Amino acid sequence: MREEAFRFGRARHLVGIAGVPEGSLGETGVIVLNAGLVHRIGPFRLHVDLTRQLNAAGYPTLRFDLSTLGDSGASGGGLTRTQQVCADVDDAMKLLAERAGCERFVLVGLCSGAQNAHTVAASDPRVSGAVFLDGYAYQTLGYKLRHYLPRMFDAARWARFLRQRASGGATEKPASEPVFSVAPAPREEVIADFTGMVGRGMKLYLVYSGGISYCFNHARQFRECFGKVMDHPAITTSYRAETDHTYILSGDRARLVDGIGGWLARNFPPAAGRHA
Amino acid sequence: MRTDPELPFFFGADSGLFGMYHAPASTPRRAVLMCPPLGQELIRTHRLYRQLAQQLAAQGVAVLRFDYHGTGDSAGGSTEVDWQRCIGDAVTAAGELRSRAGVDRVVAFGARLGGSIALGAADRARFSEVIAWDPVIDGDDYVAALDAMQGALREDADRFNQPRSHADVAEQWLGFDIGDGLRKQIQGLHVAPANVPTLVLDSLPPDATPRWEHLVSRRGKVASISPPTPWGDLRRLESAILSHPLIQAVTGRLTEDA
Repeated sequence: MREEAFRFGRARHLVGIAGVPEGSLGETGVIVLNAGLVHRIGPFRLHVDLTRQLNAAGYPTLRFDLSTLGDSGASGGGLTRTQQVCADVDDAMKLLAERAGCERFVLVGLCSGAQNAHTVAASDPRVSGAVFLDGYAYQTLGYKLRHYLPRMFDAARWARFLRQRASGGATEKPASEPVFSVAPAPREEVIADFTGMVGRGMKLYLVYSGGISYCFNHARQFRECFGKVMDHPAITTSYRAETDHTYILSGDRARLVDGIGGWLARNFPPAAGRHA
Repeated sequence: MRTDPELPFFFGADSGLFGMYHAPASTPRRAVLMCPPLGQELIRTHRLYRQLAQQLAAQGVAVLRFDYHGTGDSAGGSTEVDWQRCIGDAVTAAGELRSRAGVDRVVAFGARLGGSIALGAADRARFSEVIAWDPVIDGDDYVAALDAMQGALREDADRFNQPRSHADVAEQWLGFDIGDGLRKQIQGLHVAPANVPTLVLDSLPPDATPRWEHLVSRRGKVASISPPTPWGDLRRLESAILSHPLIQAVTGRLTEDA
């Protein structure tokens, strides 16, 4: 299988790499969004590893740069950033539909990519699945107990605190809530979005890393943050305490890619063939 | 047929190399091949390379950015990166640029190991000049620095909740698997001067600046850029390297030679 490079979109302002395996026409397509400001290859080439492994498993993929990120330009037209993200992903879905006949799509995003994937997934009926890596998170009561209680009984920490106070230095400040590296969305809104997504048949995979320990620190926190919708069978969660936010170690990266591949195979088996 | 000023495409023997061609508005008389560094430095300089390419194209220079086999969007895995193949890819890319731009004169630009590759490929690629930004000229030192950063990464409390095992971080440099072959190749790297004019742009801290004289003793010069570039700062490992002075220095060099 050979990857193809495209300049595409309503203003031919987007740049992306499509991988279309032989005989995969009509399958679910996987679209990977930028993580922060990193161009489409992803942190430490994560998106390249992911899309190629998914291609090998039979999924058509597209990794691309949103407007003004990576190699993509601006489309013009005075859209808000949210409207622009939706329009860019619409362009991406059209390209993958044209190249591979895909009618349904799974979006994958890390950090701000998760936020952008969430925005599109909440409103676009063509999105049938999403992988949110370190997406929205909120400091819950459980988080605070797990975070602060051990510190209360840490003598060394108290000694450091008292030394700093005696010298008039800065003390450790608790982070404010909610926390998201781009822009937080109200928690009730996010819960309503998740409820709507699974209500219309979407499958979700939420993976959180130890790299966001300033706001998320236990597998139980999925339920604490988002309530009973997390019990829905269409939602799979995974908390990887040992890893960092951008999966810098190749072993962590390989396990993440395998995890996404396994989730896709269970929920969107390529062998299922054409979708109506 | 519509022509895009920036065209992404694959090229090379197996169409495995990714390139981005920046076409100037008018017929170019000169061209620049931008050789990227390796590893995380490739990602950190992506935006700067694009900015520089756009500026050069705006002043009438045809530019090709590309990724070596096993890097960026090109075919191959990280463990397949090979020094000699990188040099061969730079030669292939220079030919591709000549063909697309319709010009014979190609200047090479490269940051860090990209500068070293440009110097190593100069003869075969028939570069007319090499502009190397903080090139790596002593591979042994570079490998030692990467190993030290990788060791510190293992117990970086800003990144991991608990220190990782030695096995977890082994055979990698700052996010990328490293084949044993590449490690040895870089370890043994001693960059020789190219037989073409060479401009070294130096933005290393004063105490880390190597002796550039042997690179530029025949035809060329060294120019300083400030402030120093934080190539080796683990805390800024994922911060983009941006440098307006660097863009000014390169575009200025190309302008004075027009």
